[in-house]
Amino acid sequence: MDSEDEMAAMMEDSNDDEEFYVGGGGYGDDDSDSDGVVMDYDGFMDHDSDDSDDLSSSHLHYHHRSQNYTILDEDDIRQCQEESITKISTVLSISRVAAGILLRHYNWSVSKVNDEWFADEEKVRKTVGLLENDSPLPDVKELTCGICFETYPRDRMSAAACGHPFCVICWQGYVGTAINDGPGCLMLRCPDPSCGAAIGQDMVNKLASNDDKEKYNRYFVRSFVEDNRKTKWCPAPGCEYAVDFVVGSGNYDVNCRCSYSFCWNCVEEAHRPVDCGTVSKWILKNSAESENMNWILANSKPCPKCKRPIEKNQGCMHITCTPPCKFEFCWLCLGAWTEHGERTGGFYACNRYEAAKQEGAYDDAEKRREMAKNSLERYTHYYERWATNQSVKTLLAMLGLFWFTGLDFLFGYLNIFFGLFYSISYEQQILLEKLSDIQCQPESQLKFIVEAWLQCFILDALYILRYAEYLSALFVNLIVECRRVLKWTYAYGYYLPENEHAKKQFFEYLQGEAESGLERLHQCAEKEFQVYLNSEGPSKDFNEFRTKLAGLTSLFSVSVDIFCQQLIGAGVTKNYFENLVRALENGLSDVDSDAVCRQAGSSKNVGSGSGKGRGGKGKGPTSRSNSSRNIDDSTHWSCEYCTYANVRSPTVCEMCQQRR
Amino acid sequence: MSTPARKRLMRDFKRLQQDPPAGISGAPQDNNIMLWNAVIFGPDDTPWDGGASSDVDNYKTIDCKLYGWLHESHTCHNLLAYSLEHSKQRAVYRTFKLTLQFTEDYPNKPPTVRFVSRMFHPNIYADGSICLDILQNQWSPIYDVAAILTSIQSLLCDPNPNSPANSEAARMFSENKREYNRRVREIVEQSWTAD
Repeated sequence: MDSEDEMAAMMEDSNDDEEFYVGGGGYGDDDSDSDGVVMDYDGFMDHDSDDSDDLSSSHLHYHHRSQNYTILDEDDIRQCQEESITKISTVLSISRVAAGILLRHYNWSVSKVNDEWFADEEKVRKTVGLLENDSPLPDVKELTCGICFETYPRDRMSAAACGHPFCVICWQGYVGTAINDGPGCLMLRCPDPSCGAAIGQDMVNKLASNDDKEKYNRYFVRSFVEDNRKTKWCPAPGCEYAVDFVVGSGNYDVNCRCSYSFCWNCVEEAHRPVDCGTVSKWILKNSAESENMNWILANSKPCPKCKRPIEKNQGCMHITCTPPCKFEFCWLCLGAWTEHGERTGGFYACNRYEAAKQEGAYDDAEKRREMAKNSLERYTHYYERWATNQSVKTLLAMLGLFWFTGLDFLFGYLNIFFGLFYSISYEQQILLEKLSDIQCQPESQLKFIVEAWLQCFILDALYILRYAEYLSALFVNLIVECRRVLKWTYAYGYYLPENEHAKKQFFEYLQGEAESGLERLHQCAEKEFQVYLNSEGPSKDFNEFRTKLAGLTSLFSVSVDIFCQQLIGAGVTKNYFENLVRALENGLSDVDSDAVCRQAGSSKNVGSGSGKGRGGKGKGPTSRSNSSRNIDDSTHWSCEYCTYANVRSPTVCEMCQQRR
Repeated sequence: MSTPARKRLMRDFKRLQQDPPAGISGAPQDNNIMLWNAVIFGPDDTPWDGGASSDVDNYKTIDCKLYGWLHESHTCHNLLAYSLEHSKQRAVYRTFKLTLQFTEDYPNKPPTVRFVSRMFHPNIYADGSICLDILQNQWSPIYDVAAILTSIQSLLCDPNPNSPANSEAARMFSENKREYNRRVREIVEQSWTAD
């Protein structure tokens, strides 16, 4: 089968380009065992598809990166908790309940508990409220409750390890109130203020109502994530997963199973290349009143009498403040209007202002206003671009949906044919007759061959479609990820010091290149795929059916081709983005000012051109080959299809194997 | 209808009547057991004790005022007897009025206590609310009305300037004890005349 051969060929290529296809997705469920295999590759989502068994490792050659985080669901959390409790309980020879209390007190760190316990057991027992001996209730028939002061028979009374007796009714009230007050119930102690005996889960289960028991249990499980320094909840709304992180390399990006990416350190959305401090400053700045104040300072003047800020949007210089002030003054010099008029140069100019300015009397206020204006403009410049990329992300998500819908439509289309073909027997008959005429073979044999052929084809088509879905998911995710990086580069740019011109130029150059690469990807995604969505409905006519089937075959092979090329192009862009991120994270330290100025000069030409849309297959303007990516044109050349800057091979592009 | 809170409050009242701690008294209002009026005597030999007065009329005056406040003649009687007994022919103990508002969560939740008389104290707000640990996070269901009032009484002489509700008083207490004592006496006198 042609399509099969092409498919196989493509996959061989992909195996070579292992670096790109490493994001094989997380196959199978993440086990409660903390060594679960979940792929961690920046920019690729954890594609946990159930039907991933088709795309098994025999075809995709993925390798395990050393994982520095694990996704935990509720059962995993419970299991981890139980394991820790068992460990402590056996090592320290104490009850499980006591172990639970200890662990919770020391933030679920097994090592800390061990250290503290074996350093000074007495002190730990006292701090946590674990008594050595369990004092039973006094052996009398009746006891008086310390809370309600009623007497009850001994079996209606209960006490913690300290032996202070209270009636079960009062216990229920006490424990119930504590539980309803929140997670503080996990640190509950004996009601007697002089006694610090801890109340553990066993007492709660004995004394509380069923609802309260349930609540206590939930707090207990949640405490494993909230009190533990190594785990945090995924911040995506509605997501119930927690992430266990091993602090190591300094890259805090986490991809949750719910497909939300976030920075583990500051629990904001993923924000490479900027660091967490800058991110929080930026977010604060966006929300703070400071910008409003800046705007007011820059664009308004205070009334000389009542000091309220006034913005002038039209008209002459004669301003009358609103009641109750009603002061009349000149906008230019803020002096009283009674001293103005024809004498001072008319109603639209102000002699006094000019004269005063020459004397330098208004410099200070003017300067402040100028500065405020400039800083506001600068901030607005970066903020607008950051915000646009923010909203582009939702557009992209919709685009992704659109793409998937397209694929699903094709999938459904194929299913219909599958069903139709087998249900319409006379078409089969006709086909067999025609074929037997052509092939001069007995019908029965032909029938078998034809059916087998069709089944293979259908299955292959399904397979191809699944694979295409998977690849397109990666593709869309790549675009989303690149957009996010681009968005944060704007925040980065805002905080670049003004006086470092070389860095600034280099940064803006890098950013421009990144933007144009991304635009190209966008074009690919939107334009190219449109073509394949124009499908008509199934037809009962056999000829039409046959043509459609043939069309589908070629459609699949061509679309696979397109995918290939786009993904290679995407791979190039992705590499480029990785470099950008790395450069920015190093603080643009490797800036060579000469090279920068040369590059920056020519990048201005490219920058203006990249704004316009271009066709998908990298048929960029020829200025690209002169672009500043190649410092020396004679040894480098840019491939026209994928824009890869080839160094070694003179005639065939290394990335996409197209001839020059 | 007798909820656990009400039962417990009745028991507290009974205990207060049978075995009253020194310098403290309290009773619920006629129609509402959840709202109590209470008085605290200023502790002996402190600026809070209101100074000396051997005026018999004053005793009578106390009698009427306290009677009006507490609505319980026998309690008043007790107080009068107490003040006469322990007066040592000198002091008329200065009394400070408070209200205690209980909820159905009592004794698992503390009551809201505030002073009605004007106070000058580092841990008492201008509106009369009290900053006291056992009334907030260190509350235990074992504390009863007597315990609350006793600890407030001891707070009068042992303020905690580290959690100041009245910053001026706190500063004065730390820096200028004499001025602080003077202000306390002043306020005690003022409230006395305001009665």
